[in-house]
Amino acid sequence: MPTSRRDFLKASVLASSLLFVPKFLHALDRQGLQPLRNSNGRRLVVVQLGGGNDGLNTIIPYRNDEYYKARPTLGIREQSGILTLGQDLGFNPAMTQLKGLYDQGKVGILNAVGYPNPDRSHFRSMDVWQSASDSDKYVGTGWLGRYLDATCSDGHLPYTGLELDDTLSLAMKGNLRKGLSLKNPEKFHQLTQNRFIAQVSREKASAASGSELDYLYKTLAETASSAEYLYQTSKVYKSGVAYPNTEFGKSLKTTAELINSGIDSRVFYVSLTGFDTHVRQQEQQGRLLGDLSSGLGSFTEDLQKAGNLDDTLILVFSEFGRRVSQNASNGTDHGTANNVLLLGGGLKQQGILNAAPDLLNLDQGDLRYQLDFRSIYATVLRDWLGADDQLILGREFARLPGLV
Amino acid sequence: MTSQQQLQHLYWRAGFGPRPQDVKAGSSPRKVWHQLLQNSQVFEPLTGPAPPPNEPQLVMSAAPAAGTPQSSMITTPDQTQRQGMIPAAGGAAQMQAGSVGQMRRRELTPAQRKQRNLEIRSAFYAMNTGWLNRMATSPAQLREKLTFFWHGHFACRVRQPEAALQLNNTIRRLALGKFSELLLAVSQEAAMLQFLNNQQNRKQRPNENFAREVMELFTLGRGHYTEQDVKEAARAFTGWGADAQNRFVFRAKLHDDGPKTFLGHTGNFGGEDILRIILEQPQTAEFITTKLYRFFVNDTPNPAHIKLLAQEFYKSQYNISGLLERIFLADWFYAAPNVGTRIKSPVELLAGMKRTFGVQLADDRPLVVFQKALGQTLFQPPNVAGWPGGRSWIDSSSLLYRLQLPSVLFKNAEFRVALKDDENDIAPQLSRADRTFQQSVQTTVKLAPVRELLAQTPAPQQAAQLADFVLQTPIRPDSLALVQTAAASAPDESRLRTLVTALLSLPEYQLM
Repeated sequence: MPTSRRDFLKASVLASSLLFVPKFLHALDRQGLQPLRNSNGRRLVVVQLGGGNDGLNTIIPYRNDEYYKARPTLGIREQSGILTLGQDLGFNPAMTQLKGLYDQGKVGILNAVGYPNPDRSHFRSMDVWQSASDSDKYVGTGWLGRYLDATCSDGHLPYTGLELDDTLSLAMKGNLRKGLSLKNPEKFHQLTQNRFIAQVSREKASAASGSELDYLYKTLAETASSAEYLYQTSKVYKSGVAYPNTEFGKSLKTTAELINSGIDSRVFYVSLTGFDTHVRQQEQQGRLLGDLSSGLGSFTEDLQKAGNLDDTLILVFSEFGRRVSQNASNGTDHGTANNVLLLGGGLKQQGILNAAPDLLNLDQGDLRYQLDFRSIYATVLRDWLGADDQLILGREFARLPGLV
Repeated sequence: MTSQQQLQHLYWRAGFGPRPQDVKAGSSPRKVWHQLLQNSQVFEPLTGPAPPPNEPQLVMSAAPAAGTPQSSMITTPDQTQRQGMIPAAGGAAQMQAGSVGQMRRRELTPAQRKQRNLEIRSAFYAMNTGWLNRMATSPAQLREKLTFFWHGHFACRVRQPEAALQLNNTIRRLALGKFSELLLAVSQEAAMLQFLNNQQNRKQRPNENFAREVMELFTLGRGHYTEQDVKEAARAFTGWGADAQNRFVFRAKLHDDGPKTFLGHTGNFGGEDILRIILEQPQTAEFITTKLYRFFVNDTPNPAHIKLLAQEFYKSQYNISGLLERIFLADWFYAAPNVGTRIKSPVELLAGMKRTFGVQLADDRPLVVFQKALGQTLFQPPNVAGWPGGRSWIDSSSLLYRLQLPSVLFKNAEFRVALKDDENDIAPQLSRADRTFQQSVQTTVKLAPVRELLAQTPAPQQAAQLADFVLQTPIRPDSLALVQTAAASAPDESRLRTLVTALLSLPEYQLM
């Protein structure tokens, strides 16, 4: 990766922390708003690693003595198969498919992503990432939900944002619009086919009143018609790609089948949990990263075959990284800044996009963040989905120019 | 509006809904209000699982316990084993091995830590379902409803069940009294001091979290204090902490006793002074009144109502029952815009079904699963701001779960959901199998009072009459037709059950 680009990105990272964007740029942005509202057929797939994935053993600084000093037994050695990426960083040995994608120029790695005054509680930190709030503010909506609020017309149906799960995350809840959660189209469709519920769902909400009762009837009607649409559409394409036989693999397969069937959804949300590795981390994390890597390997292959990878951006995050030092149980405790991975055929910049975390400049044993995660959200919202990032995030975060 | 509808409205808002006998007797809202108040005079603490032998009893700051603890709170071991959700947790078995309970987490071996996690989860399940059952059965409806309101207002989420239970009982004890006393007591609770980091608030390095939230979320609301006020208040709260038995302690050595200037007052303030000054601001009365109004009356506050109520609340030195009496006896409380227009929270929905129809589960644990699937779990608010409420309860999947629930409770239909990992933060890292619930639920219901309510009504009108009792908003004609068709196709012996199930499965029933 040429130095100049790295410097440029570094500068933009600095700008983000200072909110240093000239006023005239805002004006330009506003003029360009209308045409940007259409996402041009692009879609976003967010992958949430629940439990706090240890970034330092995911993107490993294998030439850094500080890393091995802090992790005498938990540090992964080069000879155990680190998949080297350049700049003295390498993927965890379990991430072979992701290494393949990296070599094809389909992966971007952002290091030391976080936010000021990080919170080490799982649920609070996940709240912060999902709502895109400051760590001392409480926001009852999610960043993708507000994207739905900002971009969906009245004709919107909840499947514009889809979560592959039984319940809906905060990330997908807006003030006016919410995403739809389902494990798979058949089961969800069945639910709405319960005879009584199906009959009730055919009742019309009275258009004008806007009462709570009408809201409930409208939500029910939208749910039923979305279930019908998803069920019928999902039959168009059945995947021939082999996926790992895990929950995560199944969710990605369902997602790929929906995308390749031509479903009109903009945002997908998939989770992989179990990263809370306080004890005997190596085996557990290796298994999970293998699951992540092979799942995403199959997923991207599936999309590529159908010609849909260039329009798809995948964003992988976790609520926090782990402490730099290993603990007494060969695990790691809750930490702060972490990696974010971007994948897709439409990435304009690939590889390692900013400096590796600085292990000599820690905050009481924790990484200091270099890049606010909301700069990534702003970039994705504006430059990828063509949405109004400031409206959705509530203020300006400097974007990473030329990234997507 | 008929007087029956008025009574039902009051029972829903001041408690967890009416039972058939409550409206059959006929009365006036005024009489019912005084009855509710009377029945809520007694304070009975919620109890947790029995402590293990050879360990001190839980220290309750809420000492004056009236009545006996409910033994139904205790999860019995056989209930635990019957069901797959929680492996090897619960009751007596858990507590014999419970000696790890009081040890510091980092001193535990991995096996002990796992054991402790199981104990914690089991204790929270017992507290959760014990409270939900109490909401459904307790005569002290008003006290439990107010406890539930303050549970969302003073939202707090800690890992220690003992501390969470103690806070809950402090709130229950003071829920109907003076807000000033409630505020001080909650501010000195171990759970709150820990949750908002006041344990780390010391002279040399003030931690502002507690001071900030006390003003932003508990009393004044954002915009009525400055960042400087937060800093000064934080200094005044230095030294407030709790000991290992969850008792409030003032650690004088950690306290900054220098002069502070807070909201225009200057002095060598301590925490009590800060709370007193906050309560001197009429804005605090307005903020609390607005929040109570939004919960008990309408999500969209009426400024004229609020202004008068807040003034009287302030004048009464924050008398909570007095404020509620003004609300519940006001004519506007029974006006159409305030009746049947509020979306029930998941806990209100569940407790209401249990109360009105005497629903009991053979094993209570699914009650926690329902709460999680619907998005509101007692003792686990999402953050210190509490549950946002209103339309935020409703999305495609939560609405479908809500509409399915009556069939699960009344007709043993299967409930099926995989819960998210973050919803189990108390003890994370459950396998997917442990997070997946897929079974029918064994229940008993009491339909005799409903049958009695309908005894004088000819069969063709029964659906409409039952709708008047079950629903707080007029049933849509199309929905009534659907309910009648469903009942007509049911055999005689299950006709009433089918009627009830159908009415409860309507969007109308989501409102109160």
